[in-house]
Amino acid sequence: MVIGIKDIFKLIGIIIISICAVFVCTLFLNYNIDLQSIENKILSVETKALFDALVMSGTVVSAVSGGCLLITAVVMLCFYIKHYIDSHRKELGILKALGYSNLRISSGFWVFGLSVFFGSAVGFAGAHCLMPKFYSVQNEDKLLPEFEPGFHLELFLSLVILPTVIFALMSVVYSLLKMKTPVLELLRGKSVSKIKAVKDGKDLPFLKDIKRATVRGRKSLVFFIAFAAFCYSAMVQMSFGIDELASEMMSFMILGIGLTLAFVTLFIAVTTIVRSNAESVSIMRVFGYSRKECSVAVLSGYRPAAIVGFAVGTGYQYLLLKIAVEVVFKDIENVPEFDFNLRALIIAAVSFVIFYEVIMYLYSRKIGKISVKEIMLDSVD
Amino acid sequence: MIKIENVHKSYGAKDNKSEILKGISLDVKRGDFAVILGASGSGKSTLLNVASGLERPDSGSVLYDGENIAALTDEKLTAFRKRKIGFIFQQYYLLPNLNVDKNVKMGAELAHNNDYAEVIAALGLSEKRGKFPHELSGGEQQRVSVARALAKKPEVLFLDEPTGALDEETGRSVLDYICKLQDELKFTIIMVTHNANIAEMAKTVIRMNSGKIVEQYRNQTQKTAYEIGW
Repeated sequence: MVIGIKDIFKLIGIIIISICAVFVCTLFLNYNIDLQSIENKILSVETKALFDALVMSGTVVSAVSGGCLLITAVVMLCFYIKHYIDSHRKELGILKALGYSNLRISSGFWVFGLSVFFGSAVGFAGAHCLMPKFYSVQNEDKLLPEFEPGFHLELFLSLVILPTVIFALMSVVYSLLKMKTPVLELLRGKSVSKIKAVKDGKDLPFLKDIKRATVRGRKSLVFFIAFAAFCYSAMVQMSFGIDELASEMMSFMILGIGLTLAFVTLFIAVTTIVRSNAESVSIMRVFGYSRKECSVAVLSGYRPAAIVGFAVGTGYQYLLLKIAVEVVFKDIENVPEFDFNLRALIIAAVSFVIFYEVIMYLYSRKIGKISVKEIMLDSVD
Repeated sequence: MIKIENVHKSYGAKDNKSEILKGISLDVKRGDFAVILGASGSGKSTLLNVASGLERPDSGSVLYDGENIAALTDEKLTAFRKRKIGFIFQQYYLLPNLNVDKNVKMGAELAHNNDYAEVIAALGLSEKRGKFPHELSGGEQQRVSVARALAKKPEVLFLDEPTGALDEETGRSVLDYICKLQDELKFTIIMVTHNANIAEMAKTVIRMNSGKIVEQYRNQTQKTAYEIGW
């Protein structure tokens, strides 16, 4: 087998995203299913309106957060597979040269789907652990009849088993497409296709050129940086913005998921940026470019993506909460007005700037530690 | 200009320590063309790395006009390389996502050299300025790496097996161009090679074996790149 079980633990990003996605979806969908069982016990119009609003909000939260995280997990999976193939080109080239078919090699990639299994299983189990508390919080005012959380096999199959199978299949198919590279190109080691050239005639200073080339060379990383900022912005503002609309538990849950997703995604993206530019940094340092110049060239080009991600996250959470209040809860009494929360925006913006810049500072120190001799390790005698 | 005194360098931990340079001392005059010859494992590349400030010796000193670069901080060492040193490697090490022009500009900007197009032209790369490293042959890539190093206007040019990955014709033309430019600009060359024929082009020849200099002599006459065997 080309890929070992240990390789799937390198897919920590997918595991964590799966945990978050399945945790949220299990919590709300399980609640919705159990809620249906008491529908015939609801007699008053007000309670029916609350019932409908809870069902609707559960469906919306599951669809929006689950869908959003699903897309991210798919992008991340493709990114990991491409990265794996790029960094194992020689080994894969040797296998192809020996006569292994593309399908035979790609079939080993199914284990990448196991990362989704681990993540979704943990998320599913975590949601069930929290369910009793969640159910009581959702019905704090005792407006609905009491009901207990139940286990629903169809949820387990559709949130744990089905994603595992789909992601395993996707891994095989995507790797099969990527394995179409000719044997000789694989054996040469370096990927030519990953080199995205900056083809414009602008006469910029070298450091600006290298900054642009670094960013344009790997657009998936731009997406991850923007996504990290999006998660941070949307989830932090949402957790502060819903203090009058939802329970404290819900706020903490949203905050926790947002911070985890933002940190993990940013960590993966920046680690990849630094690793994939180590050779360029090394040669720049050999020629006399300072650590600061190298850090600026490699890391600073992603800042606009972070700003855009943050802005989109702000708009997203505002629209989502506005729709929730004005559409989903429109028939419920005593639901407070929802306005744009400037205080939440300021808290999120200031803390994000600190969070982002601290991570960039730590990684710029890491760049400074890249040995100027790193590229020549093979030629030392 | 460069004075290396009793330099020792080892790699590995205590139990697995391997001494690569065993008390090397060496003098290289300004404008010299020194070739360091030796078999694989003789320590010649390590000597080049230490002499150019890419690595620090475990003991001993590396003096440039009296300044010991082995004692400089990382920042000062970087500034030193920026001011004085140029490199050409066997594997070229071009930046893969920048075209020829921008790879050469990388060296030129450090020396505030706005006329780097002349170097590109002199190396016959004018028509390749917009090409990317993966679109060039090995010889063309090495010429870009030469242009990048020379556009930096170095005082000392270090070359590590510069023709190791080139065919004979390309190898000769690259060496010929470097020598002609040295005549014109008077920079110092220190070249590491295992090809004894190239030593006939040098003014000073240093032969290494097992981490020591076993022979050092000056050539009475220097041959051109087209006169030596290959």
